[in-house]
Amino acid sequence: MARIFEGIRVVDISTNTGGAWCARMLADYGADVICVEPREGHPLRALAPFTDEGASIPAAYLLANKRAVALDLDVPRSRKHAIDLCRRADIVISSHSPSHLEAIGMTHAALGKPGIIMVHVTPHGMTGDLAEVPGNDLTDAARSGWASINGSQEREPLKPSGWQSSMCAGVVAYAGAVAALRWRDAHPGEGQEVDVAEIEVMAAAFAPAFLRSVYAGSPQSRRDSADLMAGPVPVQDGHFALTLSRAHFWRDAMNLLGLPDLAEDPRWGASFYRQAHKDEYVDRVTEAMSTWKKMDLFDELAVRRVVAGPVLTMEELRAVEHFRERGFWRAPANAPDGPEYPGPALRMMATPATLDRRPPRLGEHSFDVLRTVNGITDDHLLTLYESGVIGPKEEGGR
Amino acid sequence: MTMQNAAAGINLTGPLVGTRGIVLTQAWAGSYCTALLGMLGADVIQVEVRKRPDSWRGDYAAPIAGRIKDVPTAQHPWNVSALYNSVNLNKRCITLDLGTPEGIEVYRRLVPHADFVAENFSPRVMGNFGLDYEALRALKPDIILASLSAYGHDGPWANIPGIGGTIEPTSGQSALLGYEDGPPMNSGQMYPDAVAAFNAFGAIIAALRHRDRTGEGQYIDLSMQEANLAMVGDSALEYVLTGRQRDRLGNRHSTYAPHGIYAAAGTERWIALAAESEAQWAALCAIAGRAWAEDSRFATNADRKANEDALDAEIRAWTATEDRDALAARLSAAGIYAAPVLNALEVAEAAHLRSRGVVREVAHAEAGTWPQVTIPLHFSRTPATEVRAAPLQGEHTRQVLAEILGMSDAEVDELERLGVSGMGPPD
Repeated sequence: MARIFEGIRVVDISTNTGGAWCARMLADYGADVICVEPREGHPLRALAPFTDEGASIPAAYLLANKRAVALDLDVPRSRKHAIDLCRRADIVISSHSPSHLEAIGMTHAALGKPGIIMVHVTPHGMTGDLAEVPGNDLTDAARSGWASINGSQEREPLKPSGWQSSMCAGVVAYAGAVAALRWRDAHPGEGQEVDVAEIEVMAAAFAPAFLRSVYAGSPQSRRDSADLMAGPVPVQDGHFALTLSRAHFWRDAMNLLGLPDLAEDPRWGASFYRQAHKDEYVDRVTEAMSTWKKMDLFDELAVRRVVAGPVLTMEELRAVEHFRERGFWRAPANAPDGPEYPGPALRMMATPATLDRRPPRLGEHSFDVLRTVNGITDDHLLTLYESGVIGPKEEGGR
Repeated sequence: MTMQNAAAGINLTGPLVGTRGIVLTQAWAGSYCTALLGMLGADVIQVEVRKRPDSWRGDYAAPIAGRIKDVPTAQHPWNVSALYNSVNLNKRCITLDLGTPEGIEVYRRLVPHADFVAENFSPRVMGNFGLDYEALRALKPDIILASLSAYGHDGPWANIPGIGGTIEPTSGQSALLGYEDGPPMNSGQMYPDAVAAFNAFGAIIAALRHRDRTGEGQYIDLSMQEANLAMVGDSALEYVLTGRQRDRLGNRHSTYAPHGIYAAAGTERWIALAAESEAQWAALCAIAGRAWAEDSRFATNADRKANEDALDAEIRAWTATEDRDALAARLSAAGIYAAPVLNALEVAEAAHLRSRGVVREVAHAEAGTWPQVTIPLHFSRTPATEVRAAPLQGEHTRQVLAEILGMSDAEVDELERLGVSGMGPPD
């Protein structure tokens, strides 16, 4: 099976979700990704929720398909080996601030290998007034504008669920890393730095609302609570979204819901008209929907080729046959009897994503990697381990 | 890293200079994915059908609204749509009616000049046009085709239509989005489109690398449902591993508290703040000047998480009289996660985004000059510096057909006479 990044070595010294996801995507398409984590464990390993055995589930998702080496970047004797690893990498992924990278001597310039591609995934980017300001997914949603239009008018603005600012930044960083790699393929020795700011990615994800506000001269607001056009409303067994766009969607949906007067009046075919006059129909449509079960309504509208969306929970999604037929769930190749992971995000037919490795235990590959990549002898590795230079801190991960 | 495109009168800059896409994308997901490629230097030629214009141009008869109606050059609603103009930077636009033999023929002649094609029709449309992957490959053996659809190109749901607002609920996103005590919600915009766009953007670049190294093109099948479920994949994995379903968390964090958005002094002024470490918590207590540090309900992170409602009430009472921006700056300087919740017009003026060139003025032929969000990627060696406004419908038909196919004005006139090409509503 062809792998896009066969032979490409990635050293991931990032500590955040965005860096980890960027690295995970490179791993899924064949790169050898070495995650450098502190001897205490990658910060993601402390992220709830946990399995009954105490393992972080976000860490399992984000660190899968990688090898893990435990080295402390803030301890010079330990960091030296991380720097050696980076110098042998094609791509280095960092989430450290400019001042921290400077302090630990791990800037692109300090690594001294111009051919390296160094990808930075940080809240605010590596330049500008906010470069040293700390941030996370919550502040990303705030500063990018994303939160200002999400949630309801009666409540506080709302961030996206989970770590999606970071995840989106990770995807964009992946695109940047690959573009830089492709450039280097054609121009040997020409590495570079790729700088991705989470707030900028989320501002980009907010571009339509942004420009609509700019053109209007007033900022788009959050929705009022009963906006059928904007999201799910209650049905008999859950919630259902009927965010119609084209005219025939409206016509066919209204006929199905037993509202022929709304279906046949041509004025309602135009979405701008529906937006402007929603008080005239929202209650009637919502009431008509409330008697339906969500999958029945989805099936009937699908037959009519009308866009529609039942709110599906993870339990329901896990049972959806469609995913099974498309092979969306798969167990890691080195743990075929283990749990199935979701993904990938898309299918590349000539170069499919593969899930080769279950998530590594803390520092699981410290010895392997430092032996084979950095060329350290077994005796020396043991000495380094016993003197606390390389991890894991606890016995058992070697 | 700069390539002169003399015929087009433009400079392309960025790492993808020298690549070309002839794309059939529309609305947000597909359009934006190809705009991102254009902003990295690819020559992206958008093909539009006048009879069925890009839905994000809006209805031909829609009124021109807001400040744009006062711009004298703003003559055609479909050219001054904020939605369209926001996600189509750095493209050229030609019109071809793919429902006619002449339109398909011109498109087929263009394909050999493309590195990639992208589309986000329903799955059967490309086949109906005779432009599925095998057909395109017959025209250009190493072509890359990216299809962005609601549910992917096979499986039982393949032919069910969807848009961002319906993929959000069917991907698990809506079940997770909402206040901790409220119902499932959709985002305030079609967010699943952005997720699909970012993913397809990366995938096409990866496919270009593979093609360059091996000579092999490929088909990329992106299901918006899958792309969006992958973004909350840890929640899916949580169900697989534990049988538990994650609750909606609002602005809260799975692990630590405080973590929320709180009202500051004034109307619609909000501040986001969070303390992850004990050091951040101590700094927050010091700045707030309240007795939280001595309060046993908030002694450890576990205590704060267990008493989060009470903690949020305390913080709300404190921030309600504070100036949003001053407080955010003080908290940030002390190493605490904090930020003002900026609205769109504040983002447009945000100094940081301006200084990094991500928000900048873009001059559009009809809509005028307004700030826009551009490429969220910065390259040290191959900077992507050139930003061009979204194209008018059919703006580049003549230019592109002459440049790539060597068509004469008379030939393009004939296409217009047949209604295959042209601008604006069909006759």
